[in-house]
Amino acid sequence: MRKYIFAVLCLFALSLNAQDKISDTTSFLDKIEFKVGYSGNLIWNNGLNLGAEYLWKEKVKTKTRKDKLKTITHQYLFNGNLTFSNNFSTETDAGIFTNYGLMWRRTNTKGRQISIALNPLGYYRSFLPETYEVKGDDVKKVFLPGRSYYAPSLSIGLGKLRKDKKLTARYFNINLMYRTPYNAGAAPSISFQYGYRFNFKKKK
Amino acid sequence: MQKTAIYKLKIVLIAFIVLSISSCSKDEDLGNLSDTIIVRHKNADMPAYIHGNGSEKIFLITLHGGPGGMGLSFRGTAFNSIENTCAVVYFDQRGSGMAQGNYSEDGITIDIMAEDVLALVKVIRKKYGGDSRFFLLGHSWGGTLGIATLLKNQDEFLGWIQVDGTHNPRDLYLEYIANFERVAAEQIKIGNSISFWESVNKLLVDVDTEFNRDDIQRLNNKAFEAEKKLRSDNLINRPRGGRDDLVFKYNLLTFYWNVLNTQSKLDPGIQGILSYTDRLPEIKTPSLILWGKHDMVVPTVLAQEAYDNLGSNIKKLVIFEKSGHSPFGGEADLFAEEVILFIDQNK
Repeated sequence: MRKYIFAVLCLFALSLNAQDKISDTTSFLDKIEFKVGYSGNLIWNNGLNLGAEYLWKEKVKTKTRKDKLKTITHQYLFNGNLTFSNNFSTETDAGIFTNYGLMWRRTNTKGRQISIALNPLGYYRSFLPETYEVKGDDVKKVFLPGRSYYAPSLSIGLGKLRKDKKLTARYFNINLMYRTPYNAGAAPSISFQYGYRFNFKKKK
Repeated sequence: MQKTAIYKLKIVLIAFIVLSISSCSKDEDLGNLSDTIIVRHKNADMPAYIHGNGSEKIFLITLHGGPGGMGLSFRGTAFNSIENTCAVVYFDQRGSGMAQGNYSEDGITIDIMAEDVLALVKVIRKKYGGDSRFFLLGHSWGGTLGIATLLKNQDEFLGWIQVDGTHNPRDLYLEYIANFERVAAEQIKIGNSISFWESVNKLLVDVDTEFNRDDIQRLNNKAFEAEKKLRSDNLINRPRGGRDDLVFKYNLLTFYWNVLNTQSKLDPGIQGILSYTDRLPEIKTPSLILWGKHDMVVPTVLAQEAYDNLGSNIKKLVIFEKSGHSPFGGEADLFAEEVILFIDQNK
């Protein structure tokens, strides 16, 4: 538990540090984007993903190649997600999970993006159908049954900027999540995320 | 005008309440059950999918194979007919299917899993009433677990149905070798899939003559291959129907992960070690033993051994002539007939 608290404090400190560095150039609304999309694996789990990305650092490289100006942007963003998914067929695999971490994203001149997000802080809460707990001869119905898991994740994604659109970009991520402790070990899961990003930037 | 509207609204409201109450009537629900409940016991949450006719409050609890299989894998064909007679409980055992939890490696043993089955009985009684009655069916590994459950408390069950399950994992290794030698000789003699059966003979030369953990896995894999060959040579019926939507019920990644984890924790304490043969006489519950004649995974010799040793006064052994390890798929109608008859005679 101590190491998780330490990690949270580190992220918080980094976040404050980052704000100091770029606060004088851009506003909070300029640096934050939200996202909404599908999350699941199409067959067993389907759900909704909501998230936010906060720009921490950005490097823009410009070079000329074959008389064309090329701009490559590297961004580091703080990333947070809240996702609900369910196996609607059996109701035995419903869960809500939230994770937080850091994302690296590269955007090329055409607005095509690739990203890698590492979310070491993750929490998964499963929701179970009607549940009865048995202790000896005592059987009791459980109120709001479910289980909690530590659930770090790694996400690899592609995206595309959409110029002059309200939905500023679309993304497709493959998300690998690890739930632990799960039974006598841990359980991996794979999901896809497809959705759109949007922001509330002030129009100039 | 306003009074008339209020009067009509009251009638609609009363009608709604009456209809709601009558639709919640237990008797009506019991006739066509389709419930999913979770049994929480010793840090595991295990789904039980209950389907079928529960009007007589007779529940057939099924124990899947594996270890680490899927409760709902039974559903379809034979079990569709059985669901018309009684309520069938498809149970994802600890560490299997969509069961989840948080326990140590010591928290998954056959002893605890047998207690889980008895916990399931208590939960069904709590939900459907204390007058609920139970039959227990175990297939393959479920046959081992079923015996372990009965040895803990057989008074809970009106009958025991053993389907190609082993009460004697200790001696399974040597039975594999003896069975392969016999079947390979027979099949080569009649000219069926000769190259395959010759590869079986080569494997038999290669494996240890005493129990060996790696070799039993090789023999087990070869047993499933052998059943495919017997099927292609028309000695075993092809499984009919089955559950087309099973693939949507279980997350296959979670399922296979569970299989690997559960088997790696359970098998070392079971394979080549555990035997209930000497304790079978303690089981007095009426028993039905159902076996495929061409079962290569749990050879038929174990069916006879179970029949001979069970202490029940009422017991019957049925061998399905055109089946392998899963007669409920290959000879579904006959299988369902035998199970329904057994339940009718012992309920």
